[in-house]
Amino acid sequence: MFINWALQEINLKIVYYGPGMSGKTTNLEYIHSKLDPSLTGELVSLKTKEDRTIFFDFMQIEVGRIKGKKPKFNLYTVPGQVYYASSRKVILNGVDGIVFVADSQPHRMEANIETLLDLESNLKADGHTLENFPWVIQYNKRDLPGADPVDVLQKKLNFFNVPHYEGVAVKGDGVFNTLKGTINLVVQHVQNQL
Amino acid sequence: MVQTRKLKDGSRQVILNGNQYDGITKILSELATKTKASAILFADMSGQLISQRGNTENMNTTVLSALAASDFAATSEMAKLVGEEAKFKLLFHEGEKRNVYLSNVGDNFFLVVVFDVSVTLGLIRIYTKKAIEDLANTLEDDSGTEEENQQIIDSDFSSLLGDALDDTFK
Repeated sequence: MFINWALQEINLKIVYYGPGMSGKTTNLEYIHSKLDPSLTGELVSLKTKEDRTIFFDFMQIEVGRIKGKKPKFNLYTVPGQVYYASSRKVILNGVDGIVFVADSQPHRMEANIETLLDLESNLKADGHTLENFPWVIQYNKRDLPGADPVDVLQKKLNFFNVPHYEGVAVKGDGVFNTLKGTINLVVQHVQNQL
Repeated sequence: MVQTRKLKDGSRQVILNGNQYDGITKILSELATKTKASAILFADMSGQLISQRGNTENMNTTVLSALAASDFAATSEMAKLVGEEAKFKLLFHEGEKRNVYLSNVGDNFFLVVVFDVSVTLGLIRIYTKKAIEDLANTLEDDSGTEEENQQIIDSDFSSLLGDALDDTFK
């Protein structure tokens, strides 16, 4: 969190984390397409020719002034593929909240778990733990036939009982709920710690 | 010093007071005048833009800061791979019309100078070096920090923010 008293700005950094192709960029693209252009900046995507995120996506959103303060939310995604481990680590620098975008398909369970462990070790390196840090899970691709039931996903992934949301990011289902839930969680968390 | 609060979960909260912000902006203005740089940005290593000077109207400086921070992050990983123990201190991108000079300010901040190819690199280097020293001193100065003790986020703020989000995300 970065606070600039002179400008009365409160800046929060929220990172979308998750395995490759789970829909992190799709979440940001939907938010960008639906928000009033006066509230959102450009969506920057550093992609490969094959449309895969190579470094990150970034956009900033605002909601106007609240009690004279101007909150700004900086949204980032990380590349999902295993071999971009160091990119993921650096994007977490200064993070305030995380959305873990899990893929609901059974054959992606292993990738979900692997990425969650990768997140845990990156957070640890920065002095955080999954247990204490504000994060949520979005179970994405709920519309796909054969998607694991939510209670199965919950048992396998949500061992700290963090807030979870169901999503179909390509259609926008659950996208704003997830973001709103994450921001509220981060703000509550900061409030409790002061 | 810029106030950095460590929260219980290890999160970092960086708070810049009014004096520091004014000091930083003044240093950037001076640097812009002396070097005739097109744009100058000061940001923190997480990608957060703090202050800017020069002709930045047609430049998306929020995104530029995020990209520049990643540039630093990527090259510091590169430094490790080639056996350099410290981080690289400066990065230089040379274009046909414009050049970009990036230099760190301590461990947590950096400066971006965008300038025309007609301006010599030597001039940028000399004045930037001086500006970095001044910036480091300004960040150390903690006079005028009493306002920092105000509660920034209270329960009122949280509920109003909740309403604003409902409104925005309709």
